[in-house]
Amino acid sequence: MSEAIKNVLTKPLPTPDGDSQALWDGLKNGKLLLQHCDDCGHVQYYQQGMCRLCQSTKLRHQAASGKGTIYSYSVVYRAPGPAFKDDVPYAVLLVQLEEGPRMISSLVGKNFDALDFDVAVRLTTAAISDEISLPYFELVD
Amino acid sequence: MRNSLRGKVAIVGVGQSPTGRVPGRSPLDLTAEATLNALADANMQKSEIDGVLTGNAFASSFHRFSVALSEYLNIQPSYSNTLQVSGATAGAAVNTAAAAIHAGLADTVLVACGDSLLTGMTPDMAIRAMTESRDQQYEMPFGIPVANTFAMTAHRHMKQYGTTSEQMAKVAVTFREHASRTPGAQKTELITVDDVMNSKMVTSPYHKLDCSLISDGAAALILTSAERALDYTDTPIYILGGGEYYSHEHIFLMPDLTQTGAVQSAQKAYDMAGISASDLDVAGIYDCFTGTVLMMLEDLGFCKKGESGSFVEDGQITYGGKIPTNTHGGMLSYAHPGIPAAWFHFIEVVRQLRGSCGERQVDNAELGIVHTLGAGFSTQATTILGAGSTR
Repeated sequence: MSEAIKNVLTKPLPTPDGDSQALWDGLKNGKLLLQHCDDCGHVQYYQQGMCRLCQSTKLRHQAASGKGTIYSYSVVYRAPGPAFKDDVPYAVLLVQLEEGPRMISSLVGKNFDALDFDVAVRLTTAAISDEISLPYFELVD
Repeated sequence: MRNSLRGKVAIVGVGQSPTGRVPGRSPLDLTAEATLNALADANMQKSEIDGVLTGNAFASSFHRFSVALSEYLNIQPSYSNTLQVSGATAGAAVNTAAAAIHAGLADTVLVACGDSLLTGMTPDMAIRAMTESRDQQYEMPFGIPVANTFAMTAHRHMKQYGTTSEQMAKVAVTFREHASRTPGAQKTELITVDDVMNSKMVTSPYHKLDCSLISDGAAALILTSAERALDYTDTPIYILGGGEYYSHEHIFLMPDLTQTGAVQSAQKAYDMAGISASDLDVAGIYDCFTGTVLMMLEDLGFCKKGESGSFVEDGQITYGGKIPTNTHGGMLSYAHPGIPAAWFHFIEVVRQLRGSCGERQVDNAELGIVHTLGAGFSTQATTILGAGSTR
């Protein structure tokens, strides 16, 4: 079996890079780190080596509260490749974090009837390998 | 506008390969056939091509498709590039070719693309297509290929403006009607709004019939300077304006899910052409999904924000309406071989402006727009085309 075929049968595993190592280290400890710019105050996700707005390198990592709302969502019924076939249907979420940034994640569970725009969600993390934990969201009762 | 290319460059030849299910043909072979047909259409020898721009093909292992295509045809251009801005590659390639000719980098540029997404993909190639389009760290781990990004924009549009699934379905129904009159269209059987609504859900709110096809096929355009254009054809179709806009890469950094960079892309093209949306007679709009077309009708200026659903329901994107769109059937019904798909929008608009569309002809079509986009509305490219009377 070729390397590429093996790859598609398993889910994409993020490879941390120089920009993102801190994020993945944080998620391993259950924390979603956002970057706060000490020069202009911008709060950003994803992780960069510099502030996206003012290009300052004075960035401070700070854990997100984990509170957010659903800005948009789409329930996936047809899997994007064999690796996700056992998961369908699942809901991909575009989450609006209370600190400002938005992020892509997916919903824990299959309570799609309770899904709606602007409803509250909270962060949870789950390990998918020894090194990588992903940020997921669950509905707040 | 400084040194505008308005009216300086024309499309003098268009050609295509068979489309739909075309097994046993490589992307290079399909693209070469499309090129030969475009050369014949322009009454031109291949030796007259000195520039080649293409997109890349998923079902081909060549990294420099434009260079590989040149070798395949045994031509040695002095200007070549393989562009990659996803679905907007077609518009970007035409705009870039026109700029290159206007600036003197080339006299005659072949703008071509072909792929065999339907029958030509080995597993390795399918994997590449599937996994390369979204970010490996921040998007793909959650099972979000490009379709979901478009789905989330449409979903938010429904929430914000009350757009309905039935209104989106009407786009698919309209383009299927158009395809039923187009020789070579992949899907010609008429469908209803109910058919779309009852087709399997792919990624909400999109059903199977809200999504573009998967096809094989290639298309080619030949551009040359306005001075030379009449040597090749009696009906050169002039590039009157071009505009592009690249607003974000990640879907979560799209500033507003319901308004896209097509606003800025189109405005730039309209300004260069000296026109507004209401002047246009015919449109080719990138239709990867039905809701994509709705948002583009708003952002290109054909109707107000939030009103595209009723605009389509009222028949404004077909014959007799304000802007007959995708009269060949588009990616939803004519063909969607991946990156080459929007080349067919160019070919159709050129044919409409030539007045050679037969029973598909839009009356008195003189001014047309092709708008291409990709990657969850990240990339946008607009081109304004005009018959000789508009130059």
